[in-house]
Amino acid sequence: MRGLRTFAATAVAVALTVTGCAGSGSDTAGKPVTGLRVMVPNTPGGGYDVTARTAAKAAEDAKLARNIEVFNLPGAGGTVGLARLVNEKGNGKLAMSMGLGVVGSVYTNKSKATLQQTTPVARLLQEPDIIVVPKDSRYKTIGDLVKAWKADPGKLPVGGGSSPGGPDHLAPMLTAKAAGLVPKDVNYVPYDGGGELLAAILGKQVAFGVSGVGEYADQVKAGQLRVLAVTSAQRVPGVDAPTLKESGIDVEFVNWRGIVAPPGLDAKEIETLRTLVRKLRESQQWKDALARNGWTDAYLEGDQFGAFVQQENTRVGSVLKDLGLA
Amino acid sequence: MIARLRGHSEYGVAAFLLAVGVLVLVDTARISTDFTQRGPVGPKAVPAVVGVLLIVVAVLLAVDVMRGGRGEAEEGEDVDLSHPSDWRTIALLAGAFLANVALIDRAGWPISGAVLFWGGTYALGSRRFVRDALIALALSFGTYLLFARGLGIGLPAGLLEGVL
Amino acid sequence: MDAFGSLLDGFATALTPINLLYALIGVALGTAIGVLPGIGPAMAVALLLPVTFGLDPTAAFIMFAGIYYGGMYGGSTTAILINTPGESASVITALEGNAMAKRGRAAQALATSAIGSFVAGTIATALLVMCAPLVVKLALKLGAADYFAIMVLAFIAATSVLGKSRVRGYAALAIGLTIGLVGLDPQTGQQRLTFGLPQLSDGIDVVIVAVGLFAVGEALWVAAHLRRRSAEVIPVGRPWMGREDWARSWKPWLRGTALGFPFGALPAGGAEVPTFLSYVLEKRLSRKPEEFGKGAIEGVAGPEATNNASAAGTLVPMLTLGLPTTATAAVMLAAFQQYGMQPGPLLFEREPELVWGLIASLFIGNTMLLVLNLPLAPLWAKLLRIPRPHLYAGILVFASLGVYSVNASPVDLVVMFVLGLVGFVLRRYGLPIVPVIIGVILGPRAEQQMRRAFQLSDGDVTGLFTTPFSITVYAVVAVVLFWPLARRLVRRRPPTTSERPPETPESPGPDGGPSVGTSPAREADRRGPAG
Repeated sequence: MRGLRTFAATAVAVALTVTGCAGSGSDTAGKPVTGLRVMVPNTPGGGYDVTARTAAKAAEDAKLARNIEVFNLPGAGGTVGLARLVNEKGNGKLAMSMGLGVVGSVYTNKSKATLQQTTPVARLLQEPDIIVVPKDSRYKTIGDLVKAWKADPGKLPVGGGSSPGGPDHLAPMLTAKAAGLVPKDVNYVPYDGGGELLAAILGKQVAFGVSGVGEYADQVKAGQLRVLAVTSAQRVPGVDAPTLKESGIDVEFVNWRGIVAPPGLDAKEIETLRTLVRKLRESQQWKDALARNGWTDAYLEGDQFGAFVQQENTRVGSVLKDLGLA
Repeated sequence: MIARLRGHSEYGVAAFLLAVGVLVLVDTARISTDFTQRGPVGPKAVPAVVGVLLIVVAVLLAVDVMRGGRGEAEEGEDVDLSHPSDWRTIALLAGAFLANVALIDRAGWPISGAVLFWGGTYALGSRRFVRDALIALALSFGTYLLFARGLGIGLPAGLLEGVL
Repeated sequence: MDAFGSLLDGFATALTPINLLYALIGVALGTAIGVLPGIGPAMAVALLLPVTFGLDPTAAFIMFAGIYYGGMYGGSTTAILINTPGESASVITALEGNAMAKRGRAAQALATSAIGSFVAGTIATALLVMCAPLVVKLALKLGAADYFAIMVLAFIAATSVLGKSRVRGYAALAIGLTIGLVGLDPQTGQQRLTFGLPQLSDGIDVVIVAVGLFAVGEALWVAAHLRRRSAEVIPVGRPWMGREDWARSWKPWLRGTALGFPFGALPAGGAEVPTFLSYVLEKRLSRKPEEFGKGAIEGVAGPEATNNASAAGTLVPMLTLGLPTTATAAVMLAAFQQYGMQPGPLLFEREPELVWGLIASLFIGNTMLLVLNLPLAPLWAKLLRIPRPHLYAGILVFASLGVYSVNASPVDLVVMFVLGLVGFVLRRYGLPIVPVIIGVILGPRAEQQMRRAFQLSDGDVTGLFTTPFSITVYAVVAVVLFWPLARRLVRRRPPTTSERPPETPESPGPDGGPSVGTSPAREADRRGPAG
């Protein structure tokens, strides 16, 4: 049962996006890439899975690639898949969909394989987190909340949908740190995915919750939840809440997803993969997919992406060390 | 004689429980608690309780066996308890099972599944080799086609990649 | 009733011949995929959804309800026939279901399961129509402390399935709790008993435990003591449920529904705990408790109704709050979203037609399952006439296929094999298997809820007992525990005619009466209401 709940969240989105067959038309923009396999390090329906399958479908529809095979190798927060990827040294026909969660998992699972060993291809998307309270909570603004939080962090449990090291865990910890709280004092309560967390927020089990901006859109619209702040650098269209920075808490945080490849690829293989993703990103099919899923494009290519992963790794590592988890 | 041997071997169950209990406690001891804990229960508490419970039941079981208590072996339609355990059959069946484990990622399900079925029937006493092999292949290919091709479940084609 | 008017409209749009055909296809496909152990209704729906792509929403929902019910029933079918539960909700079904099958009553077990599922699904869906908002309001009031109280109650209930020898029962329970420890600690992410293997850090799925202990363990046990003479074919028996089967089934169906529906509506309810509670309850209430373990029909009827009612219960928070509480619900949620339906607080206002169409689809899928499977039950039962070597080899093939395909991991097969060896040892030395499963189900849940409760109360121990619900549950626990005392007082008076006979006397057995270590616990077995 463990992990199944998170697994399912969007399984069907996947199912629907994989049904189309690869187009068999003429080559328009160079030769399509063939025989590529994309590994998903979590179960069907998880975030990396949806990203991978949506991207594969868009690439095929845009005739950038043919017969991309997406397969799942779940386990240990993505580090089982990561270990396999690192082992497939020099395999230019393999890529892995991943994101911020894997960065944390490498620490919490004490994984020997690390993201630094992989070949960065590109970052694709990002999603800001939101800080929410139930509608009749006494915290009207993020300022109210942080004031009370600082006074007695233990009495203000914060709920999140990910286990320690995951995005929902990192966001409140980084926020706390920026607000002048010691992360160790934060009373973070992990829930088994967004559904159980929502019940805890609505049932006032926790003082506030942290979640991806897309997850509770309907509850926010219905007025059952109030968004106190978004964690990104800019405000999010359609969400009536300030950023943390505007509110005087100097932190920005977004969840992101990207693609990495095995180590030891030659320059040509690396270029093939990066070009494929670059063209994918420019394609109409991908733009449509972004809109359909409510994703924010956050394209960052190659070595810049590698540097970004390195930076995130340092940041996550320092928070988890503060907490005694790394 | 057999009763005495069985009595002795049942101490093995107690020893096993004791060993698992110690293992759990050793594993618990190395869990770091270098983080804020709220309330009396941290990551170590439950494993510690389970470890102690294992050791206590191990001792109680040993005492029970010493006083003449015996666990009754499970009976069943397909089980004949009048003769001792047939280790050869167990080893053959385990071998068939583990052959599948070893082969599934290399040779693929259509082959490893057939090995498992054929090995299983052989271990359990069927001696119609050819007929069983045909059934085995039909079963493994059939399940591969139905589940992997028809219903989209991830099964490896292995060596037959491209053929199927 | 406005709701019923809307529901009738829903039926009007849903009930066309072509839609019924979709329901039929859905049930057939769902059953086919649901028979694989480890692949439950959630994955069945996720994997088969492409099939519904391109249909209009009503047809898609109907097919999808069929897949869903088919997936659930598929898991129960294999649990009964070959002791290989397809998903966690049917693990308990295997206990009595397979015992019935071995006695030649597979057809009755399958029938009570199908009819019980139908009855429970229908009642629960009707409850969903009538009182979803109310139920959800109550469900949200429960927090970690309340869930922990339920776990305490479940552990107390577990003492009644420890078997004849208490010390062996506790040993089995301890083994289950140990298996439940494996994996990352959910609160702090610390590794426990993973031995550095990343494949173990997500814990061991209860389905793998059940299939390992039940199916693989049994195959090894049979291998060790193979009958030399060719065994008689398992009798297929009468194809339909007899009068007594009906009489013994209908109350468990209703009780199972009453238990499963609210659990399903709870954000952390699920189907595992209520199916187990139903099993214990039916054992307690049965007129023939001695049949439990040897194929008591109540032990199939109750849990099967429970898991279906629980599944309908999960729709309550999902449709009213957009809150998926199980993997299955989460998959459904995603499916709805693909059809432009956003479950949540605004759903009933925004998309009444789709919602009522969906609820009507659930009724239709449920009915179709019954229509399709009831006539098949005697045919399925004939499966058991396969010669033993082929039957057990086939069971191993199915178990391996399903367990491998969930994570594409041979390591899971090795884990299952090790558990099979444990199951072998349990059988050889008379340790009961049920407590192991209970330990795996309850242990991690109890720990998680307890620690979560402490976190929410900032470490205050009284946080465990301060909600009205938890106090009520503990009061029930106290009554159950002190009942024997009270009854002893009652016994001093001359017995009244209405008093039921005491539970069956224990057979002396080869272990020659109670030994010192076990006698207090044996006393506990007589606790609790006799009727």
